[in-house]
Amino acid sequence: MSKHRLLAMFKDFDDAFVVVDKIKAKSVSGVAVEDINMMSPIEHPEIDEKLGHRPVNIQYFTLMGAIFGITFGFFFLTSAQASFFLQPQGGKPVVPLPTNFVLMYEMLIFFGIWTTVFAFLGMSKLLRPRGTLYSEKLTVDEIGIVLEVDDDNLDSVKDFFKSNKALEIREEKV
Amino acid sequence: MSLKNVLENFSYFRQDAESGGTHKYEHRFGMAIDLDICTGCNSCSTACYAENNLPVVGKERFEKGQAMHWMRIERYWDEQEFEGDFAEQGAKFMPMLCQQCGAATCEPVCPVAATYHTPDGLNAQVYNRCIGSRFCSNNCPFRVRYFNFWSYYEDSWPEPLNMQLNPDLSVRDKGVMEKCTFCIQRIRVAKDTTQREERPLKDGEFLTACAQACPTNAIVFGDTMDPDSNVSKLWMKHQVQRGPFTHKKEKANEELRGYRVFEELNVDPSIMYLERVRDTEV
Amino acid sequence: MSQVIQDKIIDEKLEWSRINSDVIASMQAPRKAYWITFAVCVSMLACAIAAEMYQYKMGLGAAALNNPHMWDMYIATFVFWIGMSHAGTLLSAILHIIHAQWRKPIYRFAEAMTTFSLMTAGFFPMIHLGRVWNLYWVLPYVSDRGIWPNFRSPLVWDAFAISTYLSASALFLFIGLIPDMAILRDHTTGWRKKLYGILCLGWRGDDRQWRNFRRTYMLMACFLIPLAISVHSIVSSDFAMSIMPGWHITTFPPYFVAGALYSGCAAIMTLFVCLRYFFRMEAYMTTNIMEKTCKLTFAIAMVWSYLNLVEFAATWYGHNLYDKELLLQKAYGPYAPIFWAMLFCGSVVPFALCFQKLRRHMPSVFVLSIVLQLGMYLERWMIVAPTLSLAHQPHQWDILWGSVIQWAIVFGSFGWFGILFLIFVKVFPCVSMYEVKELCFHLKHEIEEEELEKKHAQQKAGVRQQSGGTVPSGSAGLEGA
Repeated sequence: MSKHRLLAMFKDFDDAFVVVDKIKAKSVSGVAVEDINMMSPIEHPEIDEKLGHRPVNIQYFTLMGAIFGITFGFFFLTSAQASFFLQPQGGKPVVPLPTNFVLMYEMLIFFGIWTTVFAFLGMSKLLRPRGTLYSEKLTVDEIGIVLEVDDDNLDSVKDFFKSNKALEIREEKV
Repeated sequence: MSLKNVLENFSYFRQDAESGGTHKYEHRFGMAIDLDICTGCNSCSTACYAENNLPVVGKERFEKGQAMHWMRIERYWDEQEFEGDFAEQGAKFMPMLCQQCGAATCEPVCPVAATYHTPDGLNAQVYNRCIGSRFCSNNCPFRVRYFNFWSYYEDSWPEPLNMQLNPDLSVRDKGVMEKCTFCIQRIRVAKDTTQREERPLKDGEFLTACAQACPTNAIVFGDTMDPDSNVSKLWMKHQVQRGPFTHKKEKANEELRGYRVFEELNVDPSIMYLERVRDTEV
Repeated sequence: MSQVIQDKIIDEKLEWSRINSDVIASMQAPRKAYWITFAVCVSMLACAIAAEMYQYKMGLGAAALNNPHMWDMYIATFVFWIGMSHAGTLLSAILHIIHAQWRKPIYRFAEAMTTFSLMTAGFFPMIHLGRVWNLYWVLPYVSDRGIWPNFRSPLVWDAFAISTYLSASALFLFIGLIPDMAILRDHTTGWRKKLYGILCLGWRGDDRQWRNFRRTYMLMACFLIPLAISVHSIVSSDFAMSIMPGWHITTFPPYFVAGALYSGCAAIMTLFVCLRYFFRMEAYMTTNIMEKTCKLTFAIAMVWSYLNLVEFAATWYGHNLYDKELLLQKAYGPYAPIFWAMLFCGSVVPFALCFQKLRRHMPSVFVLSIVLQLGMYLERWMIVAPTLSLAHQPHQWDILWGSVIQWAIVFGSFGWFGILFLIFVKVFPCVSMYEVKELCFHLKHEIEEEELEKKHAQQKAGVRQQSGGTVPSGSAGLEGA
């Protein structure tokens, strides 16, 4: 069975949340609140409340990056110094831990930040085509709701949107 | 870069100067400079210029403070003696050169490890590795490191003066730090000779240029690790020891004139100075 | 009108489409004044390039350095620029974490300032090297000779810290720009559309992206704060790790961090006034935000003054021969005019910020911020030069003032910074559009709630027949700082 993807535009968050609430209350057949993809010009904390819990896992990558950074830093520095111990300098030992801590700290942050950024690029599905189902008004002040619906329910969902103050509805075949 | 090396010898790598260090010294060259018999004649400095290819920078650059005298004679006056211009007499002289510190402050700050400690107890400067960040000089309390601010060689030795350059060591170009090496080229020759002849180094077998040139024998050079050397005997006589600044001399004994400059900074200098004694009435 | 509405940081009724068009308009069609400033900056940079070429050819003697003065204005200027780079992080990351809303209209240019002043600062350790062509030896690359940089040296820490900080702050700036890039992609044409289309990385603004974006931004902010503090502590280690009197001071790391935030805040004030007037951003960079910035600057100025006093007191009571003599020489010796000028500009002048009239008067804020920055530059110079002049060995005492070559390079660095910043404001939005929208959105809701409460209170008061029912003033979100 073929599917269609719908984009409905709303004037503000209030209008969009009415629609989300109705879908949540299962008053529309063929769509569930889990399928909703909400596009907005700003980040609104209530979006998460309305759509239900959707996990964010970036922090685990950050943690791994940071741990990698500090362990790698330690072993990199000590082994480099140990193989270059020709110059134990100024009365200090070959592996001076206090100074190495400084560099390990920098490496922790360095790897932490880069893994965070790469995790962000991956987890938020950036760096891939935006798709045609998009309106430039989304970056001004309108809110969009994207839903994937079966062909059977297409018209009923469209009607539902229209009766709930949707300013514009766009669709594409999946 | 092997991890095994790190894990097996970790405690060895953690030893600092106080806990024995990681150095295996063959020699620790040092000096004793008797300020009482120094006349401030500058022949040590001149000998150093000749031996170590030091550029003569000219009056203008000298006044700017860009001179390259590895060995310099510092002059001091007592405040009451110093009236107006330089006093006619009463200057006290102090030959100042690199102190070849055991725990040198210049070493840990070099970003590229261009200055390091040799098994001879010297503080070596690797010209080829130096990038000229000049942190070593800034961290030297004695201010005995000299930087090649210009390409001095271009006009220091006009023809035929270039013929007198010492072929045993290089001529430095702009952008590198340099300092007294205790005439490392002579040390090299002496060590090679002893190795070839399979015998230990004798005291006085070679001298640094400054010690050799000193007309009053104020500078005594030798291996402080060899208990029979002149310099060791002098150090022992004046109760000055290598190592961190922990020991105390007998305060009452006026015969003990030995001290190391800025000893309280705990840098373990290799040069002992003997105080000047003067009867000011004379 | 209640307290909140008078104090509000921005007019919440701004149309969102107007925000877009205002910011986009600021990025287009540079006016004559822009090109004149740009030309001035380019000629300043040209001076520096000429000076550097001469110095490169002749050696550092051209900069008139000498034996005790191995470092001079280059390092002082390096510390100055590094310091300037800290305020962007402060304003952006710290205020983000404590949910101070007023950062939103001004943090973008502050972050750009961070990145560009770091890019300026990074040049100075290179310029001051004797053999700059061997610069890469500081990096830990694997070599078959088994030679590594000396990880004990604070200069190597500098290299690590600056590269980490530069990449982190540039990433932070870039991540914060992504939603704005999407706005620009949708509402510009020509080469700009192509450029922003690439730079926004396919941002759609769906809920998944926003959620991840917020988390990423918060994580990066959490990393940047300790990073910024560590970077300037490491810069202070260049001095504090030595044994020189006047450098080897325990309070140097916090002192440097405070000084950095101080000069950075002053720089933000300067740029704030410039942007407000030249780009007609009065609606976004409001006097209320300036007032908060001024208060923050004043607080940091007091921290800095306090740390100064701590340093003097510690030196005085420590009674170390060399340290104490140096302190006396700073106060009464040849450097005395600069020393007292530094204290006047850095500790006395900020008291002018106590007056609300001055805080709200843009020309005076501009002048004040310049004076504060001058004071902070003198501070950096007072850190570097006197110690070298009057260290342990009296024979090598010498007073040195910067040479023409040094001045030209220092002067040119401002031109370089100016060029980068001027290009930035025309290519990227200097006001964060999506966050101003968020700010307006939340403000609107808060004011609505406030009015509801007011009505409630009035109803209650009416019921109880009491006059003068008090209105709760100041909600937490608005008074962020």
